[in-house]
Amino acid sequence: MDFKAFLNKKPFILLDGAMGTMIQKSGAKYEHVPETLNITSPELIESFHKAYISAGADIVYANTFGANAYKLAECGYSVEEIIRAGVANAKKACKGTGALAALDIGPIGMLLEPAGSLKFEEAYEYFKEQIIAGAEADLIVFETMTDLYELKAAVLAARENSDKPIVATMTFERNGRTFTGVSPSAAAITLTALGVDAIGVNCSLGPDELEPVISEMSDATALPLVVKANAGLPDPNSNEYNILPDRFAECVCALLKYGVKLIGGCCGTNPEYIERLRLALENEVYQPQSEPNTVTICSPSKTVAINGPRIIGERINPTGKKLFKQALVENNIDYILTQAISQVNAGAEILDVNVGHPEIDEKAMMTRVIKSIQSVCDAPLQIDSTKPEVLEAGLRCYNGKPIVNSVNGEEKSLSTVLPLVKKYGASVVGLTLDEGGIPKTAEGRFEIAKRIVERAEAVGISRRDVFIDCLTLTVSAEQDACRETLSALHRVKTELGCKTCLGVSNISFGLPNRELVNSTFLTMALEEGLDLPIINPNAQAMSGAVRAFRVLSGIDKNSVEFISAYNDAPAAPKPAQAAKADLPSAVYGGLKNEAALAVDGLLKDGVDPMKIVNEMLVPALDRVGEDFEKNKIFLPQLIQSANAAQEGFEIIKKHISAAGDAPVSKGKIILATVKGDIHDIGKNIVKVLLDNYGYNVVDLGRDVDPQLIVDTAAEQNIKMVGLSALMTTTLPSMEETIRLIRADGRLQNPDGSSKCVVFVGGAVLTPEYSEKIGADYYCRDAKESVDTAKKVLG
Amino acid sequence: MIKLETLDRDEALRYLGGAKTDPDENMINLLNDCEAQLFGAAKPGYLYKILPLPCEWLLVGEDIKNHLFGCHSAALICATLGAEVDKLIRVKQITDMSRAVVINSLASVAVEQICDKIEEKLFAAFPKSYFTFRYSPGYGDFPIELQKSFLSELDAPRKIGLSANSSHILTPSKSVTAVIGISSQPIEAKKRGCAVCNLRKTCRYRRNGEHCGF
Repeated sequence: MDFKAFLNKKPFILLDGAMGTMIQKSGAKYEHVPETLNITSPELIESFHKAYISAGADIVYANTFGANAYKLAECGYSVEEIIRAGVANAKKACKGTGALAALDIGPIGMLLEPAGSLKFEEAYEYFKEQIIAGAEADLIVFETMTDLYELKAAVLAARENSDKPIVATMTFERNGRTFTGVSPSAAAITLTALGVDAIGVNCSLGPDELEPVISEMSDATALPLVVKANAGLPDPNSNEYNILPDRFAECVCALLKYGVKLIGGCCGTNPEYIERLRLALENEVYQPQSEPNTVTICSPSKTVAINGPRIIGERINPTGKKLFKQALVENNIDYILTQAISQVNAGAEILDVNVGHPEIDEKAMMTRVIKSIQSVCDAPLQIDSTKPEVLEAGLRCYNGKPIVNSVNGEEKSLSTVLPLVKKYGASVVGLTLDEGGIPKTAEGRFEIAKRIVERAEAVGISRRDVFIDCLTLTVSAEQDACRETLSALHRVKTELGCKTCLGVSNISFGLPNRELVNSTFLTMALEEGLDLPIINPNAQAMSGAVRAFRVLSGIDKNSVEFISAYNDAPAAPKPAQAAKADLPSAVYGGLKNEAALAVDGLLKDGVDPMKIVNEMLVPALDRVGEDFEKNKIFLPQLIQSANAAQEGFEIIKKHISAAGDAPVSKGKIILATVKGDIHDIGKNIVKVLLDNYGYNVVDLGRDVDPQLIVDTAAEQNIKMVGLSALMTTTLPSMEETIRLIRADGRLQNPDGSSKCVVFVGGAVLTPEYSEKIGADYYCRDAKESVDTAKKVLG
Repeated sequence: MIKLETLDRDEALRYLGGAKTDPDENMINLLNDCEAQLFGAAKPGYLYKILPLPCEWLLVGEDIKNHLFGCHSAALICATLGAEVDKLIRVKQITDMSRAVVINSLASVAVEQICDKIEEKLFAAFPKSYFTFRYSPGYGDFPIELQKSFLSELDAPRKIGLSANSSHILTPSKSVTAVIGISSQPIEAKKRGCAVCNLRKTCRYRRNGEHCGF
């Protein structure tokens, strides 16, 4: 079916009104699941569809909203049975009327990661089952969605298992966001990029309150918009809605100027509302949407318009960073998250994410890192890899519209990367190099840029979404190359009309005072039209150059951003006090700087580092732990002390590694909250303490697959595993994890005994139960975990 | 709509250990600061619904039957602080663990405060009635598996974005579901406290000769 032609045959397309309201009014009986009526009372459901078609509806939604495997679990019918019957009822009502029957799909009913624990990939499977079952429908509608991530899984499932048109609507609260914090612009940008046919709002509020949401969506897309509002708010006592049909139609008509094309009703509406809408719309004219002015990328909660220089943070990249590489190998995601947050705090608006390292599974790591960053950070991401399969894994699981870094002029790259960019709805960085390498001249690079743009447009990617990188070469090696880069950048910007992107730091390789060279080059490039500098935002001269440029070129109106970045900046930290702080009391008081100073002082006095650890840091921590046990201090104070000790410990580590000695580690310990459980604060407190006693913690996070724990222990030869579970319902999962650890041949000694010591903790555990499920130790709190580690690893 | 008001510090401090100690100035500042951050992130949502008794699907296990004995109706209530609070706690666990634990405990206090306010609404709606204390799925033999039907009865996923995962854990995590019995006769004081508590063997308060207050 040509859906565009269908939409264009009339100025407005009428949708139906509420199904639930009709079922309730009819008094039809069902157990928990109204969709069972598709089978038990098909005539009744069909009569509702017919009533809506008589009132004027061009599209009716089948009674399949909640027909997914989770909600239907105990209803006695399969997803396939309920959906087939539901679609058949709608089709029967449509027969001979010209109306279309939509497969209607609502949220699954469980929250997805990170707020919940349903995996993106699992959500996809739920939707796939529904879409295949509803193959007879004329189109697919996703509605009442509050999580953009869930909606992305749904849209992908539809695109990959059906060729039907897709309409997607979300539900917003009075604050203009969904429950999960999705903004209307982010929804519009992401869904448009994913290639759905119409987007909009349903349920939420009454049509009188939807203007801010619809107007924000309208600015962010050229797609026709959908409004299917509630009949206002229900009265808490009578459950009657407060907006009557005439007023409803009037309020909806006031929204038409934003490009609204498909109109119906949600909760509380009935055929009378649709009839009034039909009459009111006879006198109205459709206002087609136009392309938004600027290209945008987004996360679910943050939209970044590329309408001036925007900083891309470059720090999430292992190249040349020893600690980062180690974090990747050890699955230390927290280290990467710290990098993400510190860059955003320093001014990065987009974060580049590169996790390429020969010793790891880059694809799995990319998925894990993207999901983790998005759970704590709003900034949109730039997915960076040389491998198309890694890019695809990242694109698939990213929530929002990302940038892909990168495609280049090589045929192989163009033909593999561009289709991915199109399919998953992203912007893309185009590198001006090809089979012949990097052209020396601006002309050569410009020609490649032109080719990349042409090829992108050929697969349906707008040139607005292609950001050309004219490549920075090292000025100490080729002094003229700097001018060629800048001149190519200028031409791309003015002649191709593309946004530009540039990794800046490479310019100064091999020179002293690199930051000076970098920031000067950055300023030159900005003046030539650079939109997306990829820099280290933690370097103040770099982020400062961008902020100052925005002021000087009139982008930062009234210098508002500049002033807010620098006006409240804290005064320079006081010079270190000369007096020697006392290490034990600094640790006890949770004073980081003092603890660091004290350790430094002791090392300068020639005290043996291990003596500092064993005779000062650890006893001070022990004292804090004991006082916590006796309820003399509070948990945050225990943690502050641990962090102060950590400062001291870091200085000792640096001292030892500078001296070329073996690093201090008392051994590796895996920590994880078991599969199904999402409470991790207790586990994280244990981690802080173990870290500070000098153990090397491999933190696998929460809701962890048992096999990942077993594999990590085997691959990294780790002999101690700590598991946490907070709920009685997740204890079986802990038992299963221990069973797998004991059963895996790699974790057994030649005599068949286990190499791994397992300690467990969590509110619902008891020593007896821990023994029963095969754990070696039960630890009632973080302090006891440390005691156990001392016993086992020394 | 329910708005959060200044949270009970003693309650929060009890979750943070150290019940026998007065908080020092740093600790008080930390609590105030964390409370402000929590209030910035919290979007309290709540629902309740009155079910006439007996109600077959709800009365599973002996404990809930005892709890509701003599009641003509049961109020199902649910409350949540919303997904942003979980996110705030996640971020703080990376940037500042000591704040994370304080916000975590204040959030637990906050969700109880919402429940108290729902109760006030119930008391006003049913004058001259008597009420049981709140009883939640997972207490005693009242199965936690009821979480899904409980939430769907209240239409909580759609109305306030509150659902349960496959392990029956509420998401967002700072949320509560509970049953309150309503009776026209005075209710005999029900057993509360350690003897009927699932955590009596491992409880930190009990170990130190204290009580959680419940």
